[in-house]
Amino acid sequence: MSATQTTPTVATEDAPASRLSRISRLQALQILILLVVTIAVFTALRPDTFLTGFNIRGIVQNTAIYAVLGVGMTFVIITGGIDLSVGSVLVFSGVVADKVMVWYGGQGWATVLVGLVAALASGLAWGLVNGVLVAKAKVPPLVVTLGSLSAALGFAQIITKGLDLRDAPQALVNDIGFGNIVGQVPTIAVVAAVVVVFGIVLLHRTRFGLYTYAIGSNAEAGRRSGVKVERHLIKVYAFAGLLAGFAGLLNLGFFQSTTIGGQSNTPLNVIAGVAIGGTSLFGGIGSVFGTVIGLFIPIVLQNGFIQVGVQPFWQQVVVGAVLVAVVYVDQLRRAAALRGTSPRLPFLSRAGGAGSASRKGSA
Amino acid sequence: MSAVLEARGITKHYGHVEALADANFDVQAGEVVALIGDNGAGKSTLVRILSGAEPADSGEILFDGRPVHLSSPTDARALGMETVFQDLALAPHLSPVQNMYLGREVMRNGLLGKLGFMDAKSMRDGSRAAFDRLGATVRNLNGPVGSMSGGQRQGIAVARAAAWAQKVIFLDEPTAALGVVQTQNVLELVRRVSGEGIGVVFISHSMPHVMEVADRIQVMWRGRRVATYNKADTSMEQLVSAMTGALAQEAS
Amino acid sequence: MKRKSTVIVAVLAAVALGAAACGSDSDGGSNAGGGSDGYELAFVQGVAGDAFYITMECGIKEEAAKQGATVTVQGAQKFDPTLQTPVLQSVIASKPDAILIAPTDVAAMQQPIAQAKAQGIKIVLVDTTLNDPSVAVSAISSDNSAGGKAAFEAIQKLAPNGGKVLGVGVQPGISTTDARDKGFADAAKADSKFTYLGVQYSQNDPAKAASIVSAALQKDPDIVGIFASNLFSAQGSATGIRQAGKQGQVNVVGFDAGPEQIKALQDGTVQALIAQQPGDIGVQGVQQAVKALKGEANEANIQTGSTIITKDTIDSPEGKAAAYKASC
Repeated sequence: MSATQTTPTVATEDAPASRLSRISRLQALQILILLVVTIAVFTALRPDTFLTGFNIRGIVQNTAIYAVLGVGMTFVIITGGIDLSVGSVLVFSGVVADKVMVWYGGQGWATVLVGLVAALASGLAWGLVNGVLVAKAKVPPLVVTLGSLSAALGFAQIITKGLDLRDAPQALVNDIGFGNIVGQVPTIAVVAAVVVVFGIVLLHRTRFGLYTYAIGSNAEAGRRSGVKVERHLIKVYAFAGLLAGFAGLLNLGFFQSTTIGGQSNTPLNVIAGVAIGGTSLFGGIGSVFGTVIGLFIPIVLQNGFIQVGVQPFWQQVVVGAVLVAVVYVDQLRRAAALRGTSPRLPFLSRAGGAGSASRKGSA
Repeated sequence: MSAVLEARGITKHYGHVEALADANFDVQAGEVVALIGDNGAGKSTLVRILSGAEPADSGEILFDGRPVHLSSPTDARALGMETVFQDLALAPHLSPVQNMYLGREVMRNGLLGKLGFMDAKSMRDGSRAAFDRLGATVRNLNGPVGSMSGGQRQGIAVARAAAWAQKVIFLDEPTAALGVVQTQNVLELVRRVSGEGIGVVFISHSMPHVMEVADRIQVMWRGRRVATYNKADTSMEQLVSAMTGALAQEAS
Repeated sequence: MKRKSTVIVAVLAAVALGAAACGSDSDGGSNAGGGSDGYELAFVQGVAGDAFYITMECGIKEEAAKQGATVTVQGAQKFDPTLQTPVLQSVIASKPDAILIAPTDVAAMQQPIAQAKAQGIKIVLVDTTLNDPSVAVSAISSDNSAGGKAAFEAIQKLAPNGGKVLGVGVQPGISTTDARDKGFADAAKADSKFTYLGVQYSQNDPAKAASIVSAALQKDPDIVGIFASNLFSAQGSATGIRQAGKQGQVNVVGFDAGPEQIKALQDGTVQALIAQQPGDIGVQGVQQAVKALKGEANEANIQTGSTIITKDTIDSPEGKAAAYKASC
């Protein structure tokens, strides 16, 4: 503990200690308010078209795949890591699932189930590769997942010779990709919602979630308390990979194509949603609920801007500005609440490195 | 009265540097032993070895009179020994309860527990009891410890160690970064812990704190113990002269 | 602290609002509050900011103005169905009378476009198409086969004595470039003065195109013409010709006439360009959309022609008209 952090006075001893937790709740709330305000503004501008069943359905459908990826990404970022490979792993898993379903044959649910197993296994395999390299080989997560981003896409292209596969069985396309579970409620959104609820429970109610926070907060503290930090990191990356694999199957159902050329922006869009949703890129703080709201905001903005008739390029500018502003505000509040947090982005350093972690611990 | 933990002839080299040279040490149940010495005298190295964080090159560690092998902090913890490191090793974003039970979570009964669900209520009750018992001032059991004062954090770290330690606690410079009031709270906490029959090893540079809280004082110099005093029989002058190497041989 | 962040959130909302307001002001084709008499059309580009689609947009806006209709134009940042789908869905939700769209994938865009039809919106496919184009009232595209034939005609003019000709394609399986390559091959085989050496694929990589061409020139030093069916293939082919020291002997014919291709023609990298007529596609697209809205009969399939541009014609009125536009 360094000398600069000495002599807290009696006054701070009496200060309310729950600032940080109130803030993390506040963050999710403020993002929710931002979303509601955005929706209200567009509803006012286009009252006849914006808040219609069709449009809400479209927005929810378009958020669904991102939400599945966002759950895994939230866990990874809470550990202080990052996963750039989700888009490529999604494509790779879609390709493998497509090939396996063609091999199995048929258009029904049995084929979908076989494809599901293939997609989950492919995603899990990439997640394990990421996790082992991050946790055991101590390669920075940014580098590891940049590598698997490239490699997974490369393998997908090798398998397909670069041409998209389009062999999604009818059950997958008609019942999951574009089907409704009841009325006008899209199945793909319900599936994503189940994943989101699972993620919320896992993060906030279980030991798995606690260890995820602990590693992002102070990996060394976890290690000294007997948490198997390396093993847990591997599990977190494997979980993110598993969900990317699942998203690969949903993607195949939604687009009826493996979209090989089409997922290069996906990891960045998902990371942006996670960051807007109040998960700290420094690790230790975050929520799945915030991520979902954070993913909705860019999609709602784009949807609204298109309906109002804003030029496409302006949409990107505004989404970018919202991202930076929201994270800046978040940072300001957090800096005030948690003095002395290391300003270094942890995913640029070795996983759970004792150095940065213990410095944080002494905050 | 026999020592709960005793070290005999511990040596440790870092390359050509001899950090510990035939060091001896002992602590008895229910007493506070201060371990003092100048910078580089080997205090921290000795504590790391006794808490299982590092292996010794040679020497013997006896626990309750039996020789033991400590290959990791987990081994030490299994024997009932806890360490509060200088940098606290708390996770700043987690609450006092979460920190208290990190790595030792209480799981729900039955299937839910097997699925990884934790029993939040029993952990909260357990934490509250532990803090109350030791008089640690923790105002908010749910807030992140990172937003709490240094004194509160130190209190949480010591209380956590005390709650799990059955036999021995190592405290590495627990008062180094604290103000007057917090220091008094921590020293009071140390007294209460030893009052429960736990051996407390208290490393400090601060002679007044040592004189205030310790029952016995062991002085290290250049990698070995050069003196052991009962507090009643010694003075600050004597301690300082021992620390600076005025005694080449181990006293008593 | 709390107040400050609340202020920033408020400012953000204001910025979003402002951008929305500005955007709808500056975009001349906005249909916000469009007249009840004129039809509201929407054009969904394959990719935003591309000369081909901008030229098409110009044709659409011109024709729409004539017909008294308004147009909004939207496109994703990349030629990518995962990005085009949300754009299309938002456009559908804004309830235009008709949508002109260049689908970015024959399969992936099928369902989203079918949704538009289900909402009672008339669909016109422009340039690219779908596996099942019957969801659209009309599909208008370049006659790519004729484009390939035109490329061969360009080589006939540049090398009137005949000789060996080679195709440098992008990759197999792309319907448009496959049709171009086939049109070129059929025309070349039909002319006894020329020998067709087949088509090789560059995978859209200029370096690969260069090595294909230099290897082909090793084997057949007397090649007189190369048809490169997209920009990178053309650039790589020119490099391969330079490597072999055959400049002047081998004529490269490229496809499309965006600013980059025109520049390649001007600096002698290629000797001729086959320009499609995206403006014409746009004009006919609007005509078909309006016909469908009025309940008149549609032509299900319309194919537009192509223009040969050479260094001699590049500055002529015809050449300038054929070149793609960077803005209307």
